[in-house]
Amino acid sequence: MKILIVEDEIELLETITSYLKNEDFMCEKASTFFDAEDKLISFKYDIVILDITLPDGSGIDLLKTIKKHSPNTGVLIVSAKNSLDDKLTGLDLGADDYITKPFHLAELNSRINSLIRRRKFAGDDTIEFNEITVFPSSKTATVNGKPVELTKKEYNLLVYFITNKNKVLTKESIAEHLWGDDIEMADSYDFIYTHMGNLRKKLKKLGAPNYLQTMYGLGYKFADK
Amino acid sequence: MKLIERTGRTYLFLSVIISLLFGGILIFVLTKVMNSRLDEQLFYNKEVIAKRIKYDIPLTIFDEPVELNDAENRMYPNDTVIYKDTLILRAIKGEGVNEFEKYRQLKAYETLHGTRYKIVARNSLVRNQDFIWVIVLSTFIIILLLLTGLWILNTQIAKNIWKPFNTNLDRLKNFSIQDQNPIELEPSNIDEFKQLNTSIKSLTQKLQSDFNNLKEFSENASHEMQTPLAIMLSKIELLLQNPELKREQTLQLQSIYQATKRLSKLSKTLLLLAKVENQQFNVKEEISLKDLIEKQLENYEDFIINKNITVTTDLSDKTIEANSMLVDTLISNLLSNAIKHNVQDGKIEITYYRDILIFSNTGKPLQQNPENLFNRFKKASNLKDSLGLGLSIVKQICDVNNWNLSYAQEDDLHQISVFFQS
Repeated sequence: MKILIVEDEIELLETITSYLKNEDFMCEKASTFFDAEDKLISFKYDIVILDITLPDGSGIDLLKTIKKHSPNTGVLIVSAKNSLDDKLTGLDLGADDYITKPFHLAELNSRINSLIRRRKFAGDDTIEFNEITVFPSSKTATVNGKPVELTKKEYNLLVYFITNKNKVLTKESIAEHLWGDDIEMADSYDFIYTHMGNLRKKLKKLGAPNYLQTMYGLGYKFADK
Repeated sequence: MKLIERTGRTYLFLSVIISLLFGGILIFVLTKVMNSRLDEQLFYNKEVIAKRIKYDIPLTIFDEPVELNDAENRMYPNDTVIYKDTLILRAIKGEGVNEFEKYRQLKAYETLHGTRYKIVARNSLVRNQDFIWVIVLSTFIIILLLLTGLWILNTQIAKNIWKPFNTNLDRLKNFSIQDQNPIELEPSNIDEFKQLNTSIKSLTQKLQSDFNNLKEFSENASHEMQTPLAIMLSKIELLLQNPELKREQTLQLQSIYQATKRLSKLSKTLLLLAKVENQQFNVKEEISLKDLIEKQLENYEDFIINKNITVTTDLSDKTIEANSMLVDTLISNLLSNAIKHNVQDGKIEITYYRDILIFSNTGKPLQQNPENLFNRFKKASNLKDSLGLGLSIVKQICDVNNWNLSYAQEDDLHQISVFFQS
């Protein structure tokens, strides 16, 4: 998977690149409009992560370039502006998703993965992790071929974990993934705990080992020991 | 007291004093002039009488002649002439006239043919006095007419002159700092009012531009904060992936992470507030409150179940026209508020009918002044994750849409109502 990351903040650009490289993506960086346009015309990318506000131009114009040169490239817009207009303009012009700064790297990764799934397999693929198989088209999962009864939240949790396997996921990032980032609830972390417990039990019942590790009260990690 | 009343009173007071003074002077001067005329005439009469005595021409004498007594002789030497006003009883029998009349009297002592005479001549003053009174009275009437005329004229002129002033005063009262348009003032051709208008205009313009700058600043500041915060958060997340981290380090990183997260949330919320205030959400559409509330209830399901809260709804299908993002935020904040401040096994009632949306929830009694409820950073409780901005966003959203927002408490039920028709 080849990804172009367009972001004018060098530090953020480096962080995103480093995180995504770790996920086995091939990453290229562009920190200016000029640089990005150059790369977009010369090479083909599967995914472009596009910051809308660039010092020498608007990401919206880059989006038009992408749609012209390679309409099959998935575009994920990143913006510091939490404005609906940008979001609507972006999505109207053919962007696939929209994420607001600041975001969790795990969330970004999860969005990219779901974007790839939608683009490459039209949602008709499966996500696999050892004996666990997830079917995004029907929002179901099986363990060793046996279906698991999952609630909507548990399903979302499972997908989030598998796409971000071997990564420490903070409680905050999980909460925002499940309830959106507007939520401001003190006890949301308790629910994560409850949902985690239920998910763990359901997976274990069908014979999956305990992949969910607790990280010092900081968050969780889904990994094969 | 109105300015016109104040000046009017002063004018009236001054006019009364001046006309009284003028009347007094008029009476005094007129009396003097007339008396001197009369005195001349009396003196002439006396001369005639004296001449007649001197040349033995018979006299018509009205009073009986009287002997001069010694005292008078001693007191008044020859050629003394005394003028004075005197009252004489005038009685005409049969006609019932019996009154004192005022006379001007001349008394002269003279020796004619070796005999000492006292000659008294009198002239009635009644006619003169009547004359004076007529003059004084007519002068007063003229002054009175003049005053009334002036008063009416003054009030009329004042009304016209002050009209633009009063209009402008009303406009100033209705002036809101949030208005984007400069204040419109009624022009006036009075210099003072012109100056006032110019001052008001520049003052309000300054206010508006300062206010706009402030709004812009808070929006920009919150906005500019997002990128560094994003860098911080992503760096920490990246660092957390390091398997060599010790427990101690992880916990410290977690503290930094949570504080940064909190700061990020705060700046995001402030940005939202600033944007709502700056009316940046102006795309309106038809929104079904019922659908929206049901969607939000689903989103908050976990929180509701956790506190074992019973939710009852009575929602009409009526739609409202507003910005969807704002209404979404409004409902979400009201609902999260009702859940957050609820008690275990509590209740939430949501009703929507006839343009009124009411969220009632059980909860502990309010520990602060209800007036502060919608103010920024006024926390009703010390919930640690609460920013204290939820209800001020609700308030701001209602404000920009001209919706009324009210809070009431009944027993242990807290009730927040939104009136969509203002």
